[in-house]
Amino acid sequence: MKRTLLALIVSAWSLLATADSELQVENAWVREAPPSAHMMAAYMTLKNPGSSDTVLTQVDSPAFDHVMLHKSEVVDGVARMTHQDDIRIPAQGSVELKPGSFHLMMPTPEKRLVEGDRVDFILTFSNGETIRLQADVRKKP
Amino acid sequence: MRNSIRRQGPLSLWRIIPLLLAAVLLAACGRPEPPQLSQGTLLPSAKPVTDFQLTDHHGQPFSLENLKDNWTFTFFGYTHCPDVCPTSMTMLGQVQRKLEQQEGLDKLPQVVFVSVDPERDTTELLSQFVPYFHPDFIGASGDEQNTLKLTRQLGILYGKAEGSAADNYLVDHSAAIILLDPDGAFRAIFGVPHDPELIANDFLAIKNYYEATQ
Ligand SMILES: [Cu+2]
Repeated sequence: MKRTLLALIVSAWSLLATADSELQVENAWVREAPPSAHMMAAYMTLKNPGSSDTVLTQVDSPAFDHVMLHKSEVVDGVARMTHQDDIRIPAQGSVELKPGSFHLMMPTPEKRLVEGDRVDFILTFSNGETIRLQADVRKKP
Repeated sequence: MRNSIRRQGPLSLWRIIPLLLAAVLLAACGRPEPPQLSQGTLLPSAKPVTDFQLTDHHGQPFSLENLKDNWTFTFFGYTHCPDVCPTSMTMLGQVQRKLEQQEGLDKLPQVVFVSVDPERDTTELLSQFVPYFHPDFIGASGDEQNTLKLTRQLGILYGKAEGSAADNYLVDHSAAIILLDPDGAFRAIFGVPHDPELIANDFLAIKNYYEATQ
């Protein structure tokens, strides 16, 4: 019963999330971090079925002090992270935030987040639209 | 002994012929061929490493001596890195778990995470970060001079990212995983992307080749 209720709430949530925007967010997750870690990362797939590009400009979360848009890249064998002012999702295209690529980067909160926890995010786009979503904390490579 | 050989003289000669043939063939073919690797690159010849002084996550000295008599995978990173470093460390945990299931493997390789951010990566921080990925993993850090002593020998590059704030900086670092042999010599390098299955298989092939050429 509890589980069904939860599922209902979750699906209602995802309906809400797409109600005011054409953009779709899939598979949002936060990587569980080791106990002493100062930083955490979150990942998701952003799909834009619309006919014009959408630009993600800001992400907020009540669980974190701040959320940064980042990108990891390996250039000539050297891994580096760079701050991104925004992330563009092309019309009828998608952008995957994934390990070793685009990601959200957050300072670790005081109370450690562990697998099974859920975290809220609010995504803001250049046209002023926002999307609210929940991400699971997972242990993954 | 001598007596018994004399007694069976002609018979034991027959027995020895195949062995002699095998020996001749082996000599003709030379040493075994280096293995074909699917992910790693084997160095044409192992590169001996000279001594360095780091401290492990238990606060104990970690030097060249600790590389002897063990195969060692080493990865260079920093604990403030939430994306590339945990990805590689989790991947190495998967390699280790695959090797744990490998029958007939007498000894597992050791896995060493060497900090390229000794300024912030204290022994205390490493002691919580590194064993999270596998209880046997070792974290090591040292002063700039000793860190460079090791990284320069292994072709590992690192440095604070340009434009970073003094207290909240990012560190650029080589993403490769290095394999050292039980002589403490640099044997193979694994560039990105890393696949745990392929790395575990490559490791076994390199180990077999090493043992066959000793
Ligand atoms: Cu980042």
